[in-house]
Amino acid sequence: MSNNSILVVGGGFAGITAALEAAEVGHEVYIVETNPYLGGRVAQLNKYFPKLCPPSCGLEIQFQRIRNNPKVKFFTMAEVVSVSGGPGAYDVKIKIRPRFVNANCTMCGECEKAATTSVPSEFDFGVGNRKVAYRTHLFAFPQRYVVDAKACAPGELDKIAAACPYGAVNTADAEKTVDLQVGSIVVATGWKPYDMAKLTNLGGGKLKNVVSNMQFERLAAPNGPTGGKILRPSDGKEPKRIAFVQCAGSRDENHLNYCSYICCMASLKHVTYIREQCPDAHVTIYYIDLRTPGRYDNFMQKVAADDKLSLVKGKVAKIVECECQSPIVTVENAVTGIKSEEKFDLVVLATGMQPSCAGSKLPVPVSMDDDGFIAGDAAKGVIAAGCAKMPLDVMKTAQTGTGAALKAIQTVVGR
Amino acid sequence: MSNTVRVQPDLKFVQELQQVGGESLKKCYQCATCSVACPLSPADAPYPRKEMVWAQWGLKDRLLNDVDIWLCHNCGACSDLCPRGAKPGDLLAALRNMAYRNLAKPSCIGTWMSSAKYLPILVLIPAILYAFIWSAQAAKLGSAFPLFVANGHEWAVDPQGSVVFGGLFPGDLFIDPIFGAVFLFMLFCFAGGISRLLKSFEGMPRTFIVGRGPEPSFGSCLIDTLKNEVAQHSRFRNCGEEEKDVQRVTGHLFLFYAFIALMVVTGVVAFGHWFGAWFLERVMGIEGGFAGLIAWAGHTPMPLWSPVKLLANAGAVALVYGLTKLTSRRTSLDAAKSTSNWYDWYLLTVIWGIALTGLGSEVFRLMNQPVIAYPVYYLHLICVFMLLAYLPWSKLGHLVYRTVALAYARKIGRLPMGELK
Repeated sequence: MSNNSILVVGGGFAGITAALEAAEVGHEVYIVETNPYLGGRVAQLNKYFPKLCPPSCGLEIQFQRIRNNPKVKFFTMAEVVSVSGGPGAYDVKIKIRPRFVNANCTMCGECEKAATTSVPSEFDFGVGNRKVAYRTHLFAFPQRYVVDAKACAPGELDKIAAACPYGAVNTADAEKTVDLQVGSIVVATGWKPYDMAKLTNLGGGKLKNVVSNMQFERLAAPNGPTGGKILRPSDGKEPKRIAFVQCAGSRDENHLNYCSYICCMASLKHVTYIREQCPDAHVTIYYIDLRTPGRYDNFMQKVAADDKLSLVKGKVAKIVECECQSPIVTVENAVTGIKSEEKFDLVVLATGMQPSCAGSKLPVPVSMDDDGFIAGDAAKGVIAAGCAKMPLDVMKTAQTGTGAALKAIQTVVGR
Repeated sequence: MSNTVRVQPDLKFVQELQQVGGESLKKCYQCATCSVACPLSPADAPYPRKEMVWAQWGLKDRLLNDVDIWLCHNCGACSDLCPRGAKPGDLLAALRNMAYRNLAKPSCIGTWMSSAKYLPILVLIPAILYAFIWSAQAAKLGSAFPLFVANGHEWAVDPQGSVVFGGLFPGDLFIDPIFGAVFLFMLFCFAGGISRLLKSFEGMPRTFIVGRGPEPSFGSCLIDTLKNEVAQHSRFRNCGEEEKDVQRVTGHLFLFYAFIALMVVTGVVAFGHWFGAWFLERVMGIEGGFAGLIAWAGHTPMPLWSPVKLLANAGAVALVYGLTKLTSRRTSLDAAKSTSNWYDWYLLTVIWGIALTGLGSEVFRLMNQPVIAYPVYYLHLICVFMLLAYLPWSKLGHLVYRTVALAYARKIGRLPMGELK
């Protein structure tokens, strides 16, 4: 007898979509998410395509659907440890890391006030800090704090627990394992920003005022470390001259040997963030080719009409900084054939998407290409969705989520 | 568009380029990383991005008249950073190889030097020549491996004597006239090559440098080039920052000054022999004193303590050291980033041949082992001939062509972006 339920690995946009589509036609679905929240990369954006909505907009509806559907069960801070069996009858073991905060939490924030230790925030890609008792972001789902017990100073955990008026902090919380029986598996493990420390010639991770595009999203997001003000990390000043370096590590056989699809659009979107906040700022986008797929070209035309925006064909291959920590980029304008050094207040590296699982071995019976993308294998009942499959925008991610749900259902029903 | 250019690609040229080492140029997507990566590229119309697109389009005229291929010292920084593995550094090396092949006449030597399949011709010319001399001398002296004792100014065969290369291959009759003629032939061919090279640069645009005044003369630029880029390797030192680049500059400096030392030794020997021993002593009849010293300095074989011999041995050691550095760097190159071509290996091998057979000749002569010493010396003659006679068509042609091109680039203001600050 085949198992009717579906495992979705990854609780980002693709995973949530796949889970809901399957659950809403009656299948039991388990979402396994490694972060303390659902929503994935979209949750970290300031605004997202195609309509430049804030992430709460689309995600709120999805969370609502999850809450209202008893068929969807999800595990945060959880990872798949092993998978055995075969299509129609997989035995899955998952590991859940301790959150130290139970369902009594009301997000009052008393624990955060009691915490004293700060560490760089993963959610903000290191441009801001978080306490050891923290919420990643305001509309985090589930609405529950996290206590990072490992980073706590001696005695700090007890102080945090004592501060909670609802007895929600459980200092004895420990790692748990859960066994699940499912018929098929949707792999929606998503992507991570390419490690910009590997872009040594661009000063990635070294120069303070050279940030990645995802860090820039956090700088522009109202729930980010600067409250949504775009400021230079080194001195907190408003940047007047900003450069975007396209294909920073993408389409490059030394880094990511493919186009990440959305970075050109992301940089154009970032120009609109800058324009809203600093009407006088000069922006330059250095590109190899501006890739604006399909209808996105209209957006490009609209943004390019900005007379304080220069689009320069030429890849930046060198960034150093001056004494005032302003980045100096060296680039050849391939149209005029002039090589020059230009000083900016802030440089944004448009780093690409790397599959989250690149470089690691996924405990799911499916093969990975050289770059770490997963094609999936419907015959085995393992289906890939979202950016685990290829670089995509949110819209196409949702489409692959729906497609994956259908294939997963076919696997469990077809036997 | 008002500035429309009709591109007339020369497909044969593109294929030719691919053959001489520019195989990967089709992968280039014109991102211009290379022009920035290059530490020697000028600000205005920097190389090698523009060369990549010219090559893809088959714009032969532009590439053949481009002074920039000589500004490149091939550190490979462009190829290392290239996102497509298009190897722009290899393209410029390939263009220089085409220049070696085509600049100097007769063009048949250029063809022979362009591929390993013609190597037998290049070897056989000196091999037959010196084998002929050797066998004629053997017939005359009664032995292919004769030993000699000094008899006034002559060498006499004596089984109790020692190995004397000048006895078997008399310098006055065979060595000096042949190498003299080869040297003059080489200079003559170079002169033609230089004039063709300079003519090809005529269309290069001038860069106006603020504060420099009127354009300097070619002569003064040549002197500056010799003082800086040649004697001190000033540009070469700025070409690349990695360990392998430092290794390359060190190796090249050793090799360069080893050649200078060996050239001085050759000059002293020729001067001592022809001016001291022949002109002053024999023709003018002056004996002893200063004339005697000049003649002695050029007399071979020299005692091991002679300053000239010491310089020669120091040069040989420096040569081997430099060669070791350059060879180890070349063999450790990442093939995905830069490749070595026939021109690279020909030159390295011939110089290795000269160094090893030269040292071998000396050692086996001192050991008085005629059966080994003479064949090694014979090989030495072949190697030296192969370096000298084909020099304008070999990679060593850069000695002259690059120097001329760098001086010309100085004159027209094509300086690295870094040097303008």
